[in-house]
Amino acid sequence: MLELLRQILAWFADPAHWTGGDGLLARLAEHLEYSALSTLAAALIALPIGLAIGHTGRGAFLAINATGFGRALPTIGIVTLVFLVSGLSLWPVYIALVVLAVPAIVTNTYAGMAAVPRELRDAARGMGMTGWQRLWQVEVPVAAPLILAGIRLAAIQVIATATMAAYVSFGGFGRYLFDGLAQRDLPQVLAGAASVAVLAITTDLLLAALQRALTPRGLRDTRKEAHA
Amino acid sequence: MRKLSVGLLGLVLALTACGGGTTTLAGPSATTSAPGSPGGETIVIGTANFTENVTLGYVYAGLLKSKGYTVTVKPNLGSREIIFPALKKGEIDLLPEYQGALMAYLDPDATSSDGDGEAKALAATLPPELKILPYAPAQDQTVWLVTKETAAKHNLKSLEDLVKISKQLVYGAPPENKTRFIGVVGMKKLYGIEFKEFKSLDVGGPLGKAALKNGDVDVADGFSSDPAIADNGWIVLEDPKHLAPTENIAPLVRADKVTDKLTAAFVGLNAKLTTDELVKMNRRTDVDKEDPEDVADEWLKSMGLV
Repeated sequence: MLELLRQILAWFADPAHWTGGDGLLARLAEHLEYSALSTLAAALIALPIGLAIGHTGRGAFLAINATGFGRALPTIGIVTLVFLVSGLSLWPVYIALVVLAVPAIVTNTYAGMAAVPRELRDAARGMGMTGWQRLWQVEVPVAAPLILAGIRLAAIQVIATATMAAYVSFGGFGRYLFDGLAQRDLPQVLAGAASVAVLAITTDLLLAALQRALTPRGLRDTRKEAHA
Repeated sequence: MRKLSVGLLGLVLALTACGGGTTTLAGPSATTSAPGSPGGETIVIGTANFTENVTLGYVYAGLLKSKGYTVTVKPNLGSREIIFPALKKGEIDLLPEYQGALMAYLDPDATSSDGDGEAKALAATLPPELKILPYAPAQDQTVWLVTKETAAKHNLKSLEDLVKISKQLVYGAPPENKTRFIGVVGMKKLYGIEFKEFKSLDVGGPLGKAALKNGDVDVADGFSSDPAIADNGWIVLEDPKHLAPTENIAPLVRADKVTDKLTAAFVGLNAKLTTDELVKMNRRTDVDKEDPEDVADEWLKSMGLV
């Protein structure tokens, strides 16, 4: 066990593993590219759906279950299926990751919108605000913490699963996992796994800070009082 | 030769990659004895966990049944790392093997040669309780494939022809191929082939084949007994320097079961078991999804072996 730890540290200490086309920095850039684009695309699809069903209160059952279906599909199956249709491209990776990320964002956005107090909506309506104004000035700010939590959750899942890109010949930290397993190079496998974990934890902390920063002051203060 | 990787990756890939992972519907074992031969000799046949090997197990079983043996088949036991020790312990008596891959398993530094050479090397290396019987001409060998169009465009017949243009070509193979001698390393050392790019794909599965078909890779590695080669009209590049070991199929058996009768039965089978016949059986099991046992029995009948 200790010997294994030493081998992993030695792997990271080797400067040759950091630079070049298959070095850690290049792999990090690839991994971030797959993850960021997938999460962004998933947010662009999921946020309108979540906001619409949350605002109108209609279609929630259908939307949540239809997108939740994506959670039940094995990612490797989607990758293989899309690969057979699209050929060797990044489409299989992006589609599989978006399918994975959408449910978390839709569900959380809807949950956030549903949790907006009824009195608040009534008061906004009573003040003569239009539907659009109520959505952007009242509901979204109040729902923001949960919406952001959904994006955060999706981003972490995507980062952990973006290792699949290596299955269809692309890069990212998954390269170390697939190559290491096939070549029976355990330190390489564990170094790759550690890299994914560090990236996931770092992203989670950064998004948590962002979530705090974007939470409206009023809500933040209430929470602090509640904790005090 | 199909190297089945054990461990997590193997499990994951088995779900999608291996075209013939677990297509047999037969139970864990099925005992049948030849009619009118009570108390005949018994043989337990084990097979690895891919369809071709399972089919071969049933071919052996049907053959031996017709010679009066009482045969039990235990299909899909696992990779060589699992079935070889089982044979050594006596949990099974006989299994269909590939000479080159078995030799590489027993001695990773073994150099490859032809079928006779492999048979001799195996006889000298195997533990005393195991024996390899005469091999068949059929092979499941690592081969390098190009499409008809690529072959015509660059006038390719053999790996030697690749040298001039390899720097413009993309090569697709499983990730271990990059560091393995029977792969990128040996291609460079024996032939001086260096590709423009290496695309890491799967092991004889749907990804590598789709990539070759779509032209995403120009050269791919594969297996000589894969029906996809003929079905797609792919060209198998000749390997004059024998980078890939020969993989003739031969029964590996416990020494205490070997008799002249048993050896004679396999000599009769070997006369008929060619790579073309193996490809035909693989097409029925892997492409048409037929039951390996039915395919084996019908093949034995059509060859007049039972």
